[in-house]
Amino acid sequence: MLTLLQLILRNGGFVSFVLLEAFCFYVIVQYNERQNSIWGHSAGLVAGDINENRQNLSDYVGLRARVDSLTAENAVLLTQLANARMVQVPYRDTFYTVNYETSVCVESVRRKHIRPQYEFIAAKVIANNISGSANWIMINKGSKDGLSPNLGVVTASGIIGILRHVDDEFSMVMSVLHRQTKVSVSLPKYGNAFGSLVWEGGDPSVMTLRFIPKHFQIKPGDLVETSGLSQIFPKGIPVGKVETEPVQDDENPYFLQMKVRLSQDLSTAGDVYVVSNLFKSQIDSLQQRVAHE
Amino acid sequence: MNNVFSHIWRFIGLVAAQGFLFQAIAVKVGAYFNIILWPIFILLLPLQMAVPYLVALGCLAGFMVDFFYGTPGLHASAGAFTGFIRPWVILAFAPKGGFTAKELIFSPAHVSWPTFLQGAAGLLVLHLFWYFSVEAFTFVYLSTITLKTISAWVLSFGVTILYAILFNPKK
Repeated sequence: MLTLLQLILRNGGFVSFVLLEAFCFYVIVQYNERQNSIWGHSAGLVAGDINENRQNLSDYVGLRARVDSLTAENAVLLTQLANARMVQVPYRDTFYTVNYETSVCVESVRRKHIRPQYEFIAAKVIANNISGSANWIMINKGSKDGLSPNLGVVTASGIIGILRHVDDEFSMVMSVLHRQTKVSVSLPKYGNAFGSLVWEGGDPSVMTLRFIPKHFQIKPGDLVETSGLSQIFPKGIPVGKVETEPVQDDENPYFLQMKVRLSQDLSTAGDVYVVSNLFKSQIDSLQQRVAHE
Repeated sequence: MNNVFSHIWRFIGLVAAQGFLFQAIAVKVGAYFNIILWPIFILLLPLQMAVPYLVALGCLAGFMVDFFYGTPGLHASAGAFTGFIRPWVILAFAPKGGFTAKELIFSPAHVSWPTFLQGAAGLLVLHLFWYFSVEAFTFVYLSTITLKTISAWVLSFGVTILYAILFNPKK
């Protein structure tokens, strides 16, 4: 302690210079708009780099678990791919399911059979928060990778959130665990009865499903998946299972509300996919035309 | 006691001139027409003054200038920096054998015109470079910082010579 005091006394000029510069730096960043925005931007980039490096390290340590997870995910994708190859072909009054690649049909018919609507862009989560009421996730892809705001973010197990802010290298995703997030979902067991999934805070693995019409006899354990009606998430992405018995919606007595346990644990989200709707601009332009009528 | 009042008057006069006159000129003419005269207050503080006092007074004067410019912390940071480096700048241009106790302040009346001009030029260029770097807050604009430093240095050094001729500070 005495040595430290002697050091400060001996270097009084330097210590006072450093202390006053630190104070000035704080005042500059706090009270000057221009310097504040530069500082915020630079700090964001540095934080992004640090988070990415930290994530790289933890990725390396958990490589075995990641390989297992990717293998399982690959199997799911292969299954989906195989199923996607099977298309229904009408012949007189009957539909036959045939293999798309081996089916004999002219090019114009083939084009009609398969029309890809979504593109999946792989990304990694480098910062995540689930403890607040407005949670955000940072991913390591940005506009340079073809991302733009309002795209859905999913994993093989479920939904993650919606892309909101896109920088060159990084993007911020508004988590499904954010009070402003609303996801259009459906219950395939009931002819795709659809409603809105919202998070009301509290348990980060449970969300509330609302606006399901009252005549559906929904039971706990029923599957919930994305409806595909919002153009953000493709139809059929798993979301979770109904957790509780449906009850009458407090705000609207003609509808039901129930709790849904998410299939994707948001706290362990690592590898994610950003879903880009290839027809988004066409759909938006059509919707705008209707809005002006 | 008389000497202290001289420094206080110089402090008030230079800060007022900077805040009322030179700030208005910069606003009217443009970003490259900066006359920064107030660091002369730090240069003319007593030669025997300890560095912590120089740093503190430089920072205080900077905050007063910031009040007029509406840029909290920018001039204060440059003032603290100038106070910190003043002993080295003065030492670089000191006469052979160093200063004697007779030289109270670093003014032409005490240290000769060439020594004063060299010291003032050196201190001003470092002060201005620090100030414009902090103002830009990133070295991405290094060329702009350098251009602003050069243009402000030419103008400020000219006004400094004028100040020294007009007031010829002795204490």
